[in-house]
Amino acid sequence: MGDIHVLVVFYSRTGQTERLALAAAVGAVQAKANIRLRWLREVAEDFTIQSVPEWKENRERMEKEYVAPREADAVWADALVIGTNGAPSELKDYLASLEALRTSGKLDGKIATAFSSGSSADCAPLFAALAQLGCVVVPSGFQPDAIENARLQGRRVAEVARALQGLVERHG
Amino acid sequence: MITIRRSQERGHADHGWLNTYHTFSFASYYDPEHMGFRSLRVLNDDRVAASRGFGAHAHRDMEILTYVLEGSLVHKDSMGEKRTFGANTVQAMSAGTGVVHSEFNASETEPVHFLQIWIEPAVQETEPSYQQIPFNPEEKLGRLRLLAAPKAAVNGQAAAIHQDAFVYAAVLGSGESLKQTLAPGRHAYVQVARGDLSVNGQTLGEGDGAAVSGESDLCFAGAGPKGSEFLLFDLA
Repeated sequence: MGDIHVLVVFYSRTGQTERLALAAAVGAVQAKANIRLRWLREVAEDFTIQSVPEWKENRERMEKEYVAPREADAVWADALVIGTNGAPSELKDYLASLEALRTSGKLDGKIATAFSSGSSADCAPLFAALAQLGCVVVPSGFQPDAIENARLQGRRVAEVARALQGLVERHG
Repeated sequence: MITIRRSQERGHADHGWLNTYHTFSFASYYDPEHMGFRSLRVLNDDRVAASRGFGAHAHRDMEILTYVLEGSLVHKDSMGEKRTFGANTVQAMSAGTGVVHSEFNASETEPVHFLQIWIEPAVQETEPSYQQIPFNPEEKLGRLRLLAAPKAAVNGQAAAIHQDAFVYAAVLGSGESLKQTLAPGRHAYVQVARGDLSVNGQTLGEGDGAAVSGESDLCFAGAGPKGSEFLLFDLA
């Protein structure tokens, strides 16, 4: 059985979504997947970020700790996990960048899911967007604890990706 | 039998921000002749530039020890630990079912030099854990200071690991010596962190290592003008 690759792409300002992204990555690792964690770079103006000390501090730290997602990461991944809070333009830009991969068929049959550190209503449009990109969408879980929920979600996408591995290869 | 592994024979990669030597196969260095020794799987000698480091990445089923020689590291992981540590501290992360962590040079001006050790655990899928145990540097002067050992053999003074492996550090001044008995059937690996060291009459320089099998006594002596600091692994 081949290795399963899980890409976790998240956008976080205060570190809350980052914690869930880490939990999702741990879940995928627990399911014996290889992971890549990628943080979407800010498009906000510097003066806006500077005005919120916590935001500024987190940005400086996350810029060091994470690289930004590259096209090669999405190609590498068997499963894609997107973490957000609301629908920031950073995320919209990222989804738009995946469109080019969709047209070349490179996202066909990849497993995908999404979570939000804010409202669960953030996820429905993301699920729709991921389905339009050709991904097999796995829903979020229903655990009351957000961290535990993210961990199980990461675990589940890795397991689904492994279960569907043969299928995707035949159709890919 | 003592098999010497010279510093320059190790795998080497210089990425600018990271200058690293691999005793055993690691990352892009692959040599089927050097895949580890007993349960010792990785022994990396890393120098990381100021404020640089390793971004978030994952580990599973591995006992990971970090021993800083110069400078300090900041560690952050999915268990919620965020800790800074420097020399004379053993840091141990038991990856078990899986952890995600990052490690960076804590200094914005000075490089950090450390040894990173991976030991394969005897049991898989254990609960991940983090240990950070500082010690008085005098405890390694002229004697072996235990850094890590199986749980039954440590008392909060060294890191508990899921493997029948004992890891020690020692500093010997020039001409100073110490002797360690190796129980029948046990193996050892010696890694010189600093200076020159004589092991059963053979001289090892900085960065050199030696795999030891079928020997009952190990005689260490500080060689050269500065003596030596080294790590000793007593392995099943």
